[in-house]
Amino acid sequence: MSEPTIFFTEVNERQGAFTRRAFLLGGLTGVGLVALGGRLVHLQVLEANRYQKLAQSNQFNFRLVPPPRGVILDRNGVTLASNRPNFRLLVSRETDTDVEGIVDKLAQLVPITDERRERLIRDIKRAPRKSPVQVMEDMSWEEFSRINVRSPELPGVTADMGEVRVYPFGGAFAHVIGYVARVNDRDIKAVTEQGLSIDPLLYNPGFRIGRQGVEKAFDIELRGKAGAQKQEVDAQGRVVRNDPEGDIPPMPGKEIRLTLDSDIQQRALEVMGEESGAIVLMDCRTGDLLCMASAPSFDANRFVKGLSTPEYKALAEYERKPLLDKAMSGTYPPGSTFKPMVAMAALEAGVDPNVRINCSGGWYFGNRTWRCWGRHGSQNMHEAIKNSCDIYFYQTALKVGPDGIAKAAQAFGFGQTFDIGIPGQKKGIVGSREWKRKANRNPANRTWFPGDTVNYGIGQGLIAVNPLQLAVMTARLANGRKALSPRLVKSVGGVERPRGDAAPDLPYAQEFLEYVRGGMIAVANDASGTAFRQSQLGLGDIRMAGKTGTAQVRVFREGESRKSAGFRWGLRDHNWYIAFAPIEAPRYAISVLIEHGGMGGGTAAAPRAREVMRMALLKDPEIRARIEQPMPMPELDPAAPIEGAAPEPAIEGAPPPPTPTPEAPQ
Amino acid sequence: MTASALTRPGERDRLIIKFAEIDWTFCLVLCLIAGAGALIMFSAADLSWTPWAWPHLSRFAIFFVLMIVLAMCPLTLWFQVAYPVYVVALVLLVGVEFFGDVSKGAQRWLQIGPLRFQPSEIMKVGVVLALARFYHGMSADSARASWWLLVPAALIAMPTLLVAHQPDLGTSLLILFTGVAIMILAGLSWKFIAAGIGAVAVAAPMMYFFVLHEYQRTRVDVLFNPAADPSGAGYHILQSKIALGAGGLMGKGFGLGSQSQLNFLPEKHTDFIFAALAEEFGFAGCFSILFLYGAVIFMALRTASISHSHFGRLATAGVTATFALYVLINGAMVMGLAPVVGVPMPLLSYGGTVMLTVMIGFGLVQSVRVHRYSEVTAGRGALL
Repeated sequence: MSEPTIFFTEVNERQGAFTRRAFLLGGLTGVGLVALGGRLVHLQVLEANRYQKLAQSNQFNFRLVPPPRGVILDRNGVTLASNRPNFRLLVSRETDTDVEGIVDKLAQLVPITDERRERLIRDIKRAPRKSPVQVMEDMSWEEFSRINVRSPELPGVTADMGEVRVYPFGGAFAHVIGYVARVNDRDIKAVTEQGLSIDPLLYNPGFRIGRQGVEKAFDIELRGKAGAQKQEVDAQGRVVRNDPEGDIPPMPGKEIRLTLDSDIQQRALEVMGEESGAIVLMDCRTGDLLCMASAPSFDANRFVKGLSTPEYKALAEYERKPLLDKAMSGTYPPGSTFKPMVAMAALEAGVDPNVRINCSGGWYFGNRTWRCWGRHGSQNMHEAIKNSCDIYFYQTALKVGPDGIAKAAQAFGFGQTFDIGIPGQKKGIVGSREWKRKANRNPANRTWFPGDTVNYGIGQGLIAVNPLQLAVMTARLANGRKALSPRLVKSVGGVERPRGDAAPDLPYAQEFLEYVRGGMIAVANDASGTAFRQSQLGLGDIRMAGKTGTAQVRVFREGESRKSAGFRWGLRDHNWYIAFAPIEAPRYAISVLIEHGGMGGGTAAAPRAREVMRMALLKDPEIRARIEQPMPMPELDPAAPIEGAAPEPAIEGAPPPPTPTPEAPQ
Repeated sequence: MTASALTRPGERDRLIIKFAEIDWTFCLVLCLIAGAGALIMFSAADLSWTPWAWPHLSRFAIFFVLMIVLAMCPLTLWFQVAYPVYVVALVLLVGVEFFGDVSKGAQRWLQIGPLRFQPSEIMKVGVVLALARFYHGMSADSARASWWLLVPAALIAMPTLLVAHQPDLGTSLLILFTGVAIMILAGLSWKFIAAGIGAVAVAAPMMYFFVLHEYQRTRVDVLFNPAADPSGAGYHILQSKIALGAGGLMGKGFGLGSQSQLNFLPEKHTDFIFAALAEEFGFAGCFSILFLYGAVIFMALRTASISHSHFGRLATAGVTATFALYVLINGAMVMGLAPVVGVPMPLLSYGGTVMLTVMIGFGLVQSVRVHRYSEVTAGRGALL
């Protein structure tokens, strides 16, 4: 080495120390690099699968696709509840979303008031990340496309087409079908309390849960199963690409078919007019309910959007109670419509129907005078039903005793609820000695008095029924054999529900049933029957049988007029009518309640029953065939030569030419 | 040219000879790393030269020329400017305290006329030069253990504390570790080293509780449990690990990394560019890049060991230490082994300031190599 180098110990010592230490630190750096390499092996080779999955769950989002809610149809396939498209605007939040900025941008494209703006900003900020908040619904097509065009500059904003429930008949089926409404905390709690996991659908904006009637009872069936749409998203949650191959299609909700007939149901509400009450019409052979209407009703579509407090208050506080389903949730004294039951019990107890009781308008018993609504003179059972004589039934009830009457009432459907698939039925009351003992705490009220029986005989006092039960009673009477049960839901998802005639026989003799029916036929067909004028169907030989009823809602003071005229609405008597038709081979049974309606007897309910019954009969193809009696034709002998007809070349498959046929002698 | 020709007096001062003496292998490796950076930026920008890849490459080209020019500067010049650079950098750091721009919650930038820069970056070179300059005139015994050691300690402590106060924990640690590395290389007694390690072991937990800012503390917390706050403080580490792991052995392929393409990976072109590379090129790509970094460090250390001047040795080793720390800290951070500190991967990451510092440092390294035979003289312990 010939290069100039300064050699002295000081320098060498420093260089030596440096070299050793440099070697050491360089080695440490090498160790560090190897450690990094080891970490790379750990992440990229050993755990690669796990991180690849995580990267995929970053990259792909499964957007929930709500299933279309099942439609609800009437017995003939007419749509009672379906879905209509709804353009919605949704905003979902990311950690770094400028919520105010987004809402302000949206406000330039769609109308958002300042007040609404504040609420939206609060809602969006409060919502969990990535869960969308609904900003608007029912947007116009213009608004919808405006948002979609600008979507690249609106991160987190989506405009999509959802579906919203629609009830084409508005209020006609509101009580039976119910309605759907926004999911609230109580719904969520109800699900968790049942120990079930919460369907993520419930959190989907725009999802509606069934709240009443069929919508509630069959909510799970109608709901269907959510699908998913596979999307590639970036870190801001913006959709970069759709991946249709990864989509999971939603499973639509099941179709539910009711036994109701939309024409009859609508007719029922039509004839109710301003009145408050209910009409139930039942097929007396199958138990199918063709009409179950409660008036006044409400527009179920309003509930889907969400009712404002004043709107709800108006509905809830109206004295005619539109929100109450009077057909099954309201119970009333049946009044004279209960007399067939007393008659049944009397016949069963061995009372001779031909024994006459004199009606002089009043009867003194138990230290008071029991009044009749008229002065009928001598009455047998048939006449007493026809005239609805109270005196006859006061005394007959005393002969039978309360327990026999209660047994008959229960056999014909009172004091119980039926499995018609929807909640809300009220059992009502069927009084008996045992019932009274159990129902009252006060010992003074626990004894059954003879006066209770007297009252029972005319369907007052310890008896309360709903219109559905009365329709069932009428149908069982008319059927004459089976203890029919009503059916409201015909099929769910194409699977037929059990029919109402799969029922045990009535525990009463045929001749007794026939006798009582005879009384009811007389009510509507004897010129002196209580509802003769109001029961004329005008359908030729197809006739109706019925029974009127007047249920008192107030206690009469001594000497006071029993007439409802002059009293305010809420104090007037309830008016009932039950009927079945045709009389010889009954097809339909009906019960009509007019709350506080009319002057008693056949005034308010009977004409309405007639109209609805007419509709049902006219829609029945067999009955219709009988009404539209075609001109009778003679049996044609195909071999006989046709007179007066020009010979025609025989064309195969062509219909035979019309031939004038002479009327055959009958 | 024969080796004997170079022994002629003045021969080594000829520019062409100096130019040939530059370690061109070293330069090639630098170009490879910067090129790889540009490639990833091109991919991360959705296969576009803008906004990152093109500026990165052109900047590198300019700084590369600067490095060559600096390599030509005689070692005595570096020696003479060592203290002035340090003093100026220190003054600027104090200036940042009062006039600095606030960016992302920290005062790091200083605006003088049209220039906008981070004085802490100048200090990285400044502290290396000043320490090398100081130790150059110090005997081995004094460097081992003497009261004189208070001077380098102060030289390190002042910028470390000033930068930490900005607050820029990453750069401050970098300055501290570089300074300590130079002290160790200069021959610091093992007793002091052991005592230092002991002191750090005791002080680190206390630092955590009493000195660190809230945001710095969460960064440490999430290191141990990134899943605790996956969308907040743990987001960076988690997404970076996902990108690394998802790359697997061979990577997803160029332009196909979902983590970087869809912006799940934050800072994908700067601090976390290594993760972006890992996702698209896999273990193979990562290993290659780490190998290149290892080569740079090895070649720079060899340059230090063949230098005849103590100043040259220590300065080169100091620059190498800074560079190695960059790589190790960034690598550990990206792989979820260290808290998130703002330390980029040198030459690979986008960003002019760090690249300038690194290339100036490598200019110094090449200058030491070119002038490895020249001896620098100055009085022992002299300040200027």
